[in-house]
Amino acid sequence: MALIKQKPTEIIEQCERKQARDCASLELQLSDPSPSARRWAARDLVECPDSSAALIEQLQREEDSSVREIILTTLTQLGDEEAVAGLVSCLRSEDANLRNEAIEAMKLLPDEVAPIMGQLLKDADPDVRIFAVNVLESLRHEQVEEWLNEVIEHDAHVNVCATAVDLLGEVGTSYSWEALEKLKARFPDEPYIRFATDLALKRISAS
Amino acid sequence: MATKPISQEDFLKFREFFYRKTGIQFEDSKRYFVDKRLIERIEATDSGTFRNYFITLRFETTGEELQILTNLMTVNETYFFREEYQFKCLVNSILPEITAQKKDNRPLRIWSMPSSSGEEAYSIAMYLLEYWPGISQWDVEIISSDIDTSILAKARLGKYSDRSIQHLPKSLLNKYFRHNGDDYQICDDLRNAVEFTRVNLMKASDVRSYRDFDVIFCRNLLIYFDDLSRRQAADTFFDALNPGGFLCLGHSESMSRISSLYQVRKFSDSVVYQKSKGAQ
Repeated sequence: MALIKQKPTEIIEQCERKQARDCASLELQLSDPSPSARRWAARDLVECPDSSAALIEQLQREEDSSVREIILTTLTQLGDEEAVAGLVSCLRSEDANLRNEAIEAMKLLPDEVAPIMGQLLKDADPDVRIFAVNVLESLRHEQVEEWLNEVIEHDAHVNVCATAVDLLGEVGTSYSWEALEKLKARFPDEPYIRFATDLALKRISAS
Repeated sequence: MATKPISQEDFLKFREFFYRKTGIQFEDSKRYFVDKRLIERIEATDSGTFRNYFITLRFETTGEELQILTNLMTVNETYFFREEYQFKCLVNSILPEITAQKKDNRPLRIWSMPSSSGEEAYSIAMYLLEYWPGISQWDVEIISSDIDTSILAKARLGKYSDRSIQHLPKSLLNKYFRHNGDDYQICDDLRNAVEFTRVNLMKASDVRSYRDFDVIFCRNLLIYFDDLSRRQAADTFFDALNPGGFLCLGHSESMSRISSLYQVRKFSDSVVYQKSKGAQ
């Protein structure tokens, strides 16, 4: 036996998929029994600008994590209003994996997520507010520090503030100084808030 | 005015951030290397201070500056037997596992990408011929791809400098190369053993036909991609691999930060990533 070139690319290329690739057919294939067919449909739907609703619908019922991941990659590439709204709805899911996957996807959409961030950070559900701060962790947007300041100045929930102050330890500048001092005063009996705030202040003063 | 030195706090802040974004971890011993490049970019971007530069790095929507800095912080070199421990892992652990479970006699398929000038693909070929007893029982196809057609032409030509072959054992150099003036010409047997193809990993129509691979080598490429492109690449490799197939990344790259599609496999020679045997 040996090293061979039995199957050059030209031959591999003949192995085209048999199913139709138009947008309507691809949306139907999102519910194909084969996960591989569903993954390929989700991947190819990136060429179909109106497919976010179908992708979100499938995402919320999809049980195969490999298909879910590819749906999320495609939604991130599409990044339209419907895709973002769908991702936000996943933050309220009971499925922790789906929530985390949605957070990861939203981190990749700074310009698309920015217009709704203020609203997310004021959501009635503190868990959703924590997830919104989690999104900020890697969101490349110039307002991140400002949003975090809003949280630590006004949010009544200690866990939401703790998540935000952790992040300020990394991204905080002197702009956050006053808000951090106020936070310590708002939660005088919370040792973690005191510790994380002092760390953030130390880092700011050293830069 | 000269840029202020990078403080310890700033270094730690930068190190945490850079690790999260790229998986590249700098030990304290690399402090001089990191500081020098940071100061270089602070000056090149007219940021004035680390703080201003870090804000750009962290919040710039395009990610362009992070890419420039990543390029500076990584050393992009290709040579024969680079990161040899993974080839050891291939012959000692990966291929024995794959062949033990293979239910047909079809050739094993290995995809190496990016091909660059071919050193990795030819290294795999040599390693199999020299160190894998299974080569007497199995046919193996090696396909090596790159987006750059000029580098592919160079790979097909198989002519290398002193620098490229410096880590090769003398015996292999004598066996597989012909010394010709300043160059080392790889032998025709190896040139004919590797299929070089042009592929844009980010283009679905380019990668769609790349299927049924048992092992993929994609080392030191994903560090140059943005987050979304890394995810796309991970998704593409997943469907290019057979169930139970393996993905080998570079030493500073980690699939765990990119995608949850793969299982981490820790072998004695290397950590690699595996598509679940039950994946459909």
